Amino acid sequence: MKKRRKKLLHRDLKDNVEYYLLMALPLAFIFIFSYLPMFGLVIGFQNYSVGRPFFGEGVEWVGLRHFEKFVSSYYFPRILKNTIVLNLMGLFMGFWVPIVFALVVNEIRNGKFRKFTQTVSYMPNFISTVVVAGMFLSFIASDGIITQFLELLGIQAKSLNANKEFFPWFYTLLGVWKNFGWSSILYLSTLSSIDPSLYESASVDGATRLKKIWFITLPSLLPLIMIQLIFAIGGMLSSNTDMILLLYNPSVYSTADVIGTYVYRESLMGGAYSPGTAAGLLMSILSFILVFGANWVSRKKTDFSIW
Amino acid sequence: MKLNSMAAEGNRPGKSRLNRWTGFDTAVTAISVVVCFITIYPMWYVISMSLSDPIAAASGAVAFWPVGFSVESYRIVALDREFWQAFLNSVIYVIAGCVLMLFNTIAVAYPLTRKNLWGRRWLTYYLLVPMYFGGGMIPSFIVVTKLGLYNSPWSLILPGCYSIWNIILCRTFLASLPPDLSEAAFIDGATNLQALVKIYLPLSKPIIAVILIYTIVGVWNSWFGASIYTTDRDIQPVQLFLRNVLVSMQSGMRADTQTGMTKEVMEAMAEQAMTARQLRYAMIVIVTMPILMVYPMFQKYFTKGVMLGSIKG
Repeated sequence: MKKRRKKLLHRDLKDNVEYYLLMALPLAFIFIFSYLPMFGLVIGFQNYSVGRPFFGEGVEWVGLRHFEKFVSSYYFPRILKNTIVLNLMGLFMGFWVPIVFALVVNEIRNGKFRKFTQTVSYMPNFISTVVVAGMFLSFIASDGIITQFLELLGIQAKSLNANKEFFPWFYTLLGVWKNFGWSSILYLSTLSSIDPSLYESASVDGATRLKKIWFITLPSLLPLIMIQLIFAIGGMLSSNTDMILLLYNPSVYSTADVIGTYVYRESLMGGAYSPGTAAGLLMSILSFILVFGANWVSRKKTDFSIW
Repeated sequence: MKLNSMAAEGNRPGKSRLNRWTGFDTAVTAISVVVCFITIYPMWYVISMSLSDPIAAASGAVAFWPVGFSVESYRIVALDREFWQAFLNSVIYVIAGCVLMLFNTIAVAYPLTRKNLWGRRWLTYYLLVPMYFGGGMIPSFIVVTKLGLYNSPWSLILPGCYSIWNIILCRTFLASLPPDLSEAAFIDGATNLQALVKIYLPLSKPIIAVILIYTIVGVWNSWFGASIYTTDRDIQPVQLFLRNVLVSMQSGMRADTQTGMTKEVMEAMAEQAMTARQLRYAMIVIVTMPILMVYPMFQKYFTKGVMLGSIKG
């Protein structure tokens, strides 16, 4: 018995050395590129300049000064407003689309057409943001197809890309176009796991297909919809920086600027590393509180939670 | 069998004659057709424009089908050395990214499924923390710079060469395989690595396919890292090149050349009376088509990947 245990321990030791050797490289990568930047957040509380260390000698601590400056600056309310407006528009115009699309696809009778529709709907997800933004900007240029089409309808459409009222719509619609198909996968695969006997017995009772959608399909999706909604509300303070950076220009900053674009423009390009880090950290903290809050409320009220 | 094919699948009526085509079916089909059109049309228009006669394209005559037929735009793009250099760079980044990503994913996911791994709990925390916290844009930039990777191709490969999400996906997949497999192998005297390579990897094709397609698309389509970590045009990925050609011109960020294209290309364009728009569309087609050709082949794995990811823990 004792011998056996010793042998097992020996095997564990050998196994573990092998496993940790195997994991060494990836774990090191994670440390360098995920953990080191977290330590780097301290520069938000310093006057950091290039080449200095994060800690130790020569570090000039300034406490919360950068945070105070950012909060009282003219940018903070604008960024907060834009982020929330863009996300609310995304929620109202985008959240239901994958659900309705999944319901529609699920009702297509012809198997080949159903598969084709699905495949097509995934396509925008695979087109890069650079290409999506580039195509769109060329479509709304003065000789672009959208501008031409609007003029055909008799609508004066001049320099659409410089119109700050349109920007949130453009951004939102592009987001919906790019993501609806991919987001519908989750709903579709849940739909295919619904017990078919439910539909059969409903048919026997004479339910129409629309009624079956309402009374069987939608209730089966409800838990998933709730979880997705929590995610969406928790993500209210995050935005697609990539897409905005590509789409916006100085004349629409007032409706397009979000934290990512602000930090990119004012800090990264401008070299003001410490204020930018502080601004980014503040928004991350607010966002984190929101995620937890949304999850907490949902757990209390509906039994659905992420954690 | 026959009876089965007649039966309804979910809420969809079977093929029996009793299940006639209804207004409901018409509505479903109409919506689907409209959605397909909205999804395909922008890309289709870009392809048609790139293949049209330069004069027709410039005059706005193209709406759906190419007007006239010309591959001039592609011939001119073929002359653009900077474009092809960037294209090649991206191919290299994708290959390097895929190799490293697969290794980094499996090398952590496999030990995580072993019950005798020491510190498994701590390791899980180590993986979970970065999923909720991060340093953000500037600290990441400073770390990359401090490592001496600024303006190096490695700055485009290493920061994205692992994904904790993929590790968890892969671990969930491996853990769902029957445990008897490895036990049988160990009884036969296989080492841990042999069990991984000979038994687990062949069974892991679906998850490898999922990770591969995510990585290929992610690396091929990325430009942001390159825009902050590099200034050297010789190492730029193709999406950054495209951004400079497609986007910056409109927002006036680049004033050095009018279109972002080289001198030979400008001359060839002038000779053909070609607009920059057509060239840009040809570039979009060349850069996007490889991905659009590949993804339908991976389609059956998407559901698998999404479902694995939605399992808690």
